[in-house]
Amino acid sequence: MADNILQVKNLKISFRTVGGTVKAVRDISFNLARGETLAIVGESGSGKSVTSKAILGILAGNAIIEGGEILYDGKDLLRISEDDMHRIRGDKISMIFQDPLSSLDPIVKIGKQITEAMMLKNKANRRAGRREFNSMLATLRQHMKAAGGDAAKVDELTKKFDSFNTEALKLEGAYNAARTHAEELVADIEDFLFRVEHNQKFDLRRKLQSFLKRLRLVKDDFLTHGFDDAISAACEELRGMIASLGSVFDVMREWLRRATGRENEVEVPRNVVDALISLKQLLQNVTAQPLPNFFRIGYCKLAGQDISLDGRSVEELNAAALEYLDADFMNEFLALATAGVRHSAQLALEGKRAFVQSAERARSFFAEDGFAKKDAHALCKQFNALVDASIDRLDTVKDSLAYTFRQSFRSAVNRYFYYKKRNPKEEARFARQTKKREALIAKGRRVDWKVVPKVVMDLDEERANIIAVVDRLAAKYEADIASSAGVDYRAGCVALVDFFKEKASQVVYRVTEKMARERAIKLMEEVGIPEPRIRFYQYPFEFSGGMRQRIVIAIALAANPDILICDEPTTALDVTIQAQILELINKLKAERNLSVIFITHDLGVVANMADRVAVMYAGKIVELGTADDIFYDPRHPYTWALLSSMPDLDTNEKLDAIPGTPPNMIYPPKGDAFAERNKYALKIDFEEQPPMFKVSETHYAATWLLHPDAPRVPVPKVITDRIANMKKLTGDSNGK
Amino acid sequence: MENNNEVLLRVEHLCQYFKMGRKELKAVDDVSFEIKKGEVFGLVGESGCGKTTTGRSIIKLYDITSGNIYFKGQRICAGTRSYREEISSAKAACRAEIKEAKEAAKADPSAKRQAEERIAAARRRCAEIVARNNAAIASAKRDHRTCDREYAQTLVDELKREYEPKLAASSGNEEQLKKLKKELRYKCSVARKTKLITRIQMIFQDPIASLNPRMTVREIVSEGLVINGIKDKKYIDEQVYEMLELVGLVREHAGRYPHEFSGGQRQRIGIARSVIMRPDMIIADEPVSALDVSIQAQVINLLNELREKLGLTILFIAHDLSVVKYFSDRIGVMYFGKMVELAPSDEIFAHPLHPYTRSLLSAIPLPDPRYEKQRTRIIYNPIAEHDYSVDKPSMREITPGHFVYCNDAEERKYREQLGL
Repeated sequence: MADNILQVKNLKISFRTVGGTVKAVRDISFNLARGETLAIVGESGSGKSVTSKAILGILAGNAIIEGGEILYDGKDLLRISEDDMHRIRGDKISMIFQDPLSSLDPIVKIGKQITEAMMLKNKANRRAGRREFNSMLATLRQHMKAAGGDAAKVDELTKKFDSFNTEALKLEGAYNAARTHAEELVADIEDFLFRVEHNQKFDLRRKLQSFLKRLRLVKDDFLTHGFDDAISAACEELRGMIASLGSVFDVMREWLRRATGRENEVEVPRNVVDALISLKQLLQNVTAQPLPNFFRIGYCKLAGQDISLDGRSVEELNAAALEYLDADFMNEFLALATAGVRHSAQLALEGKRAFVQSAERARSFFAEDGFAKKDAHALCKQFNALVDASIDRLDTVKDSLAYTFRQSFRSAVNRYFYYKKRNPKEEARFARQTKKREALIAKGRRVDWKVVPKVVMDLDEERANIIAVVDRLAAKYEADIASSAGVDYRAGCVALVDFFKEKASQVVYRVTEKMARERAIKLMEEVGIPEPRIRFYQYPFEFSGGMRQRIVIAIALAANPDILICDEPTTALDVTIQAQILELINKLKAERNLSVIFITHDLGVVANMADRVAVMYAGKIVELGTADDIFYDPRHPYTWALLSSMPDLDTNEKLDAIPGTPPNMIYPPKGDAFAERNKYALKIDFEEQPPMFKVSETHYAATWLLHPDAPRVPVPKVITDRIANMKKLTGDSNGK
Repeated sequence: MENNNEVLLRVEHLCQYFKMGRKELKAVDDVSFEIKKGEVFGLVGESGCGKTTTGRSIIKLYDITSGNIYFKGQRICAGTRSYREEISSAKAACRAEIKEAKEAAKADPSAKRQAEERIAAARRRCAEIVARNNAAIASAKRDHRTCDREYAQTLVDELKREYEPKLAASSGNEEQLKKLKKELRYKCSVARKTKLITRIQMIFQDPIASLNPRMTVREIVSEGLVINGIKDKKYIDEQVYEMLELVGLVREHAGRYPHEFSGGQRQRIGIARSVIMRPDMIIADEPVSALDVSIQAQVINLLNELREKLGLTILFIAHDLSVVKYFSDRIGVMYFGKMVELAPSDEIFAHPLHPYTRSLLSAIPLPDPRYEKQRTRIIYNPIAEHDYSVDKPSMREITPGHFVYCNDAEERKYREQLGL
């Protein structure tokens, strides 16, 4: 699929333990498309949680990543630094953990836990935005010059671009600050009204004074345009109310002082409430106005044009500014920039051609054993240089494969040499230990230890892996070259300008504590927590299990991630709450176009959530397909067993339990890991691991039963009955 | 099992309240049901609805607040709250009446005698109620305290009756007599320690937390026998091995520690520990929810086998409705401490009446994507669903064996739904 947001390739993970190395994940690959839910099903110990933790880079300390790649947004998540991972984790990829109690901090209030991520991420984003803006502009300037543009002109234009952007940022910063004040004031008033509603008493004078102070700060030419009179009237009204408080409430205050011993705390009169409600409405109207396009206005200001809003609406101003900008600067700049973009792309294209041409060299080099380490590393270096030259740095959509080529290629080569050195040693050790053990047995002694099986990698396969890395990129590049004729460079250039704008506004977008709180309360409402304004200040222990899980979901969603990983989020909950949580995740997924990885062992939940399903057993994906494939046309005996081992509402006969327990992954079985518990196991299942057989375009299963030479094994009756039943059920409800 | 109508366990108006600061939490509120010999009774409900508390109250892990629990016809638990409340309300009524009579006398001195009579009558009535309830409290306390002792005494008596003819027959043969007497003494000592409550055993939810990590499997499984005063090592070992084999483990496992086992095997150990006492009844508190799918089926099959082999009665507490449906003969649905519906399992799934039951059933996810896409969940809102302000609800039998917690109007509605 073209729009794969996350790609996991040949992932292998093991854990060092006292007993030996546990092979937790053994060579799994899958893709996650944008907006889809992939469910990973399996027993505990099948490696599903380990996979998800590897994606987030939160594996336990004793984990060893033996190989593979996790590609996301031009990065290999297994090889990036902790700092880079930090930027992705929680921000782009979020996780909901199984146990809501242990994933919340017991001594920090819920509200703080939700807002924390927003505040931190905002701070990080602002810094990163500035950096990316600058580096991209520098690259663009370089390419514009190289494309034959007049150097002085280019310098002038880019400088102008930068400076009017700065001007725009100043304007936007002021606008954002005023807007922030307006939003915070709305939040304050809402809070105030909530407390009035709940009959809480407080110092009214001080409250009103703080409102007034804030209202005076809501002042920006672009924001309050057209509302100036209304706002100053509101200011006057507030001031009047504060002044009147002194006289009207003296008697009441005296009475209160005597009654409660506290001063200034009075009930809020109705007219104050009404005034505040109308003020809130006013501010909401103010903030609901269309956004001025500061990018354009900034330029006009720099050029000394009239940018006041007198008698114009914001849209009109935007349009006028656009006209001026286009005529005066943008057309010229775009023409030059497009040349730069074209130059960069063509340079990259040449690089791609060069890479594709020399790919054959790598293939022949690694085709045969016996190359020297030095030569291999030299070749590595050459290829890295080739790929570097072939990357279009001005492309806003990053090419994951190219960006990760260097690391993948190097690690594949290193791996080959590691095993080349290690394999003979391992063989020797195995032979030595076996000999010793046999000698002891021959003597008639009791031997209570086992020989640790040898870990010998197939060097041919390792070489194939190296070539595969090159082939993958070459194939991608060939496709790029083939489609290069129809590329619209101007569109690319506009995308680039948009990229600049986005990065620039990231720099001035500031999230204050109050805004974060308001957003958190909105989020809490969204996930279905009643009375979020009270709940915001409570501790985790004051929530029930379902509510806690909702909080965890709210935290995971706080940073607006692309990918949400749910690690058995409903296993600890009962059916009603489970149904609510699943509905919530489904709703949010649709609203935000989230990609979800859903880990569970409950097939009912999978049927509810999943678009595609991966069934895992003993660290391998044994069956992969769409939900319909897995539930209506299961092919792997393990999937059969899973489906038939749970009673459903119509089951009366004895359950078809899977005998035995999962294999010990310190000594993974030689053949199919499920063979020992499998009624339908063939002889070859004990000897050789089955490859992934393709059932249909979307459906793959790793079982020898699908081999053309295998005996026909019918799907167990329980399953066929159940599928027939299900079809009847859905048919019936369709009829209704 | 349908033809066996012997009631093994009867729970009457069970209430279990917990103190929570100044407030009281009604964990179980007026729950009544019967479990017949040999049947599996399922209890379902969301977490915190009191199903586990019910199980634990039955096995006397808590002192119940009010209500009675009868096991094999013998009262094993009794709460006194309801009697005390009756006493205090009677006293309050009496005081009110006396006050009223006195005031009437004050207003009208001529009716003074009449008022005195009225006061005396009220006092008599009150004293009667107090005496009756005090007697009930005393009997409840006695039963609560002495049910085990009485049970042990009947066992001892039985033993003595059994040995009388044997002793008589071997009189004259000194050696034989001595041996028999010793045997009787030992058996009596064991019998005296036997408690009625050991006839009910429990299987816990979490197989990891419920096994002592410092004890070997042999120690864990045999603990019940040892506490019961059995000292015969060989007998204990035999029993342990038998139980281990019964639950699908092997003899060699007896010497190992719990951490050496997988989740399913640990749950088997827990089951072996509970069946070694040869109980009449087992309370299984979510025995499969902490297990993997493939292991769950193994444990359910094992419980089914044991039930057939040993003729066990099981109180099965779970929140997985499809498992409960598969396993139970009758099902009780609980909601916030109340039993809202009780019916045979097929009946409850075919004709759910109470809105909570219906919402619960509509929330079960099935392994069928197309069905899942169409499934609509019914949301239960007790405030909107019921109007109990005038017409008070109670458990009513709609069809034979199908009880629903409802009031008159709802009963009529349910009957209409069933076409009665």
